[in-house]
Amino acid sequence: MSRDKSLVIDGVRQFFGPKNSRVQALSRTDLAIEPGQFVCLAGPSGCGKTTLLRLIAGFIKPSEGQITVSGSEIFGPGPDRGVVFQSPTLYPWMDVASNVELGLKFQGVSKDQRRADSERYLQMVGLTDFAHRRTYELSGGMQQRCQIARVLASDPEFILMDEPFGALDALTRERLQNELLDIWRKTGKTILFITHSVDEAVFLGARVLVMSPRPGRIVFDEPAIFSNPGEVIAAEEIRSLPAFLELRERVRNAIQHSH
Amino acid sequence: MVIPLEGLEYHPSGGPDDRHGGQAAVSKSAPLWVRVRKNFWTTRLTALAAFLVVWWFLTTPWAWNGDKPIMLPLYLPSIPSVWNAFIRANTIHPIAEGVDREVVGEYGYYLWQHLLATLQRIGIGLFFAIVVGLPLGLLMASVKIISVSIEPYINFLRSLPPLGYIGLLIVWFGIDNTSKIWLLFLAAFPPITIATIAGVSGIKEDQIHAAQSLGASRLQVVSSVTVPAIAPDLITGIRVALGFAWTTVVAAELNNGIPGIGGLAYLSGTELKTPLTITCIIVIGVTAIALDSIIKAMERVLTPWRGKA
Repeated sequence: MSRDKSLVIDGVRQFFGPKNSRVQALSRTDLAIEPGQFVCLAGPSGCGKTTLLRLIAGFIKPSEGQITVSGSEIFGPGPDRGVVFQSPTLYPWMDVASNVELGLKFQGVSKDQRRADSERYLQMVGLTDFAHRRTYELSGGMQQRCQIARVLASDPEFILMDEPFGALDALTRERLQNELLDIWRKTGKTILFITHSVDEAVFLGARVLVMSPRPGRIVFDEPAIFSNPGEVIAAEEIRSLPAFLELRERVRNAIQHSH
Repeated sequence: MVIPLEGLEYHPSGGPDDRHGGQAAVSKSAPLWVRVRKNFWTTRLTALAAFLVVWWFLTTPWAWNGDKPIMLPLYLPSIPSVWNAFIRANTIHPIAEGVDREVVGEYGYYLWQHLLATLQRIGIGLFFAIVVGLPLGLLMASVKIISVSIEPYINFLRSLPPLGYIGLLIVWFGIDNTSKIWLLFLAAFPPITIATIAGVSGIKEDQIHAAQSLGASRLQVVSSVTVPAIAPDLITGIRVALGFAWTTVVAAELNNGIPGIGGLAYLSGTELKTPLTITCIIVIGVTAIALDSIIKAMERVLTPWRGKA
């Protein structure tokens, strides 16, 4: 196994339910994610993409196979794999800044350092003015921004995002997509981004994966160039590029023909 | 500016936690509940006055009734006699009319000393109920074998009327304060444990996952997520527990309950000092309402997110 910070999913299968009537959620999956990659995983709902994310996050244990980070098997959740949930899991008993600082607090970082870090990441996601608001006073888009800042602040190797923009309106969603790309370019984090939107997957991903319906299986795995660092083009322009439309069409076909 | 009156009040519309109208000035077009709230104390005081008039009517001697009140003082004492009992209980007064010997309050204690003694017992009982009930609830919520083994006993204990086992507690812990505090503790801890269990089972799984993914240890998950997440349920549990303890207080103070407001209520009843009994009942009731309002206020201050997230 390599010593670098790559994530390797090796022969993982996942079943749910009791032994005699178990349901296969994920058929044998092998996947390696290189450090710094922005990987998008698209697929119809219920195909097992969230299951895969939860396996990587360590919330559930694989029925078969193993998942390794930098060569060592993962057992349970850890701060090296930050998770941005579909519905924000911010803590309403803390203000926005305290939510962002939480990971650092768990790691025993001093209060001054935490403040400085949270200010930096709140600025990155544009929530500086809301640092001392309660989380339930934020809009849906702001809550997702706050979740992203919270994950960034604890400085994980991997950021696992489970349809984070799924519940947002189209305009907010596009704005957050662009912000996320900016953040990725600035921080160079490895991101696994799950979505049911083909457009989102092709627009964001440096690598696009498609998963078939249950039991989930990766049926499409191709690089995309539209989010590449150094090639910052306006989002509208990217979305009208022939190459973008062509890849989007092929991803769409892959999803449809996997049924 | 209308100050929202929240708490135990009955709000025919709007509801006690509806605060949106708090900022708006009351106008003719204001919603009904704002107007009801504006007239809230007027309505309350009118009802109280009506109640007192009925009481006065029933206890005043009437010529058409042979110069006797409709209800004899033994059954329903008049308002002035209850007031006198209240004053006597708070002052040094002659032991009887025309006698020089003076005594303090009732049974050697002022009324406030009786009340304070009871509040102390309830405070100590409730304190131990929280200290035991909260960890027990957390333990039962997280360790299946503990919850399976203990749950029936908590339900059993909860269903027992306190009068049923006060005798046993006296045999075990003596007739002084200890047995009384035990009784109040036993009345108060099951609601706290049950509220804790309900609170834990209501925590969203991903809130725990999120903390674990931020690197929280087991203990940090409990302190940063579990405990604050159950705080609203816990406060409700404490509120219910305090109510239980308070309704148990007369039973606790049946034997050797002086000083104690419950003991005083019981003892004065057995000695047919009806005005004093009614005084005690009023003091017990008003104190209970005041305590409940305090907890409701704490709820708003400590868990402002309740119902919002």
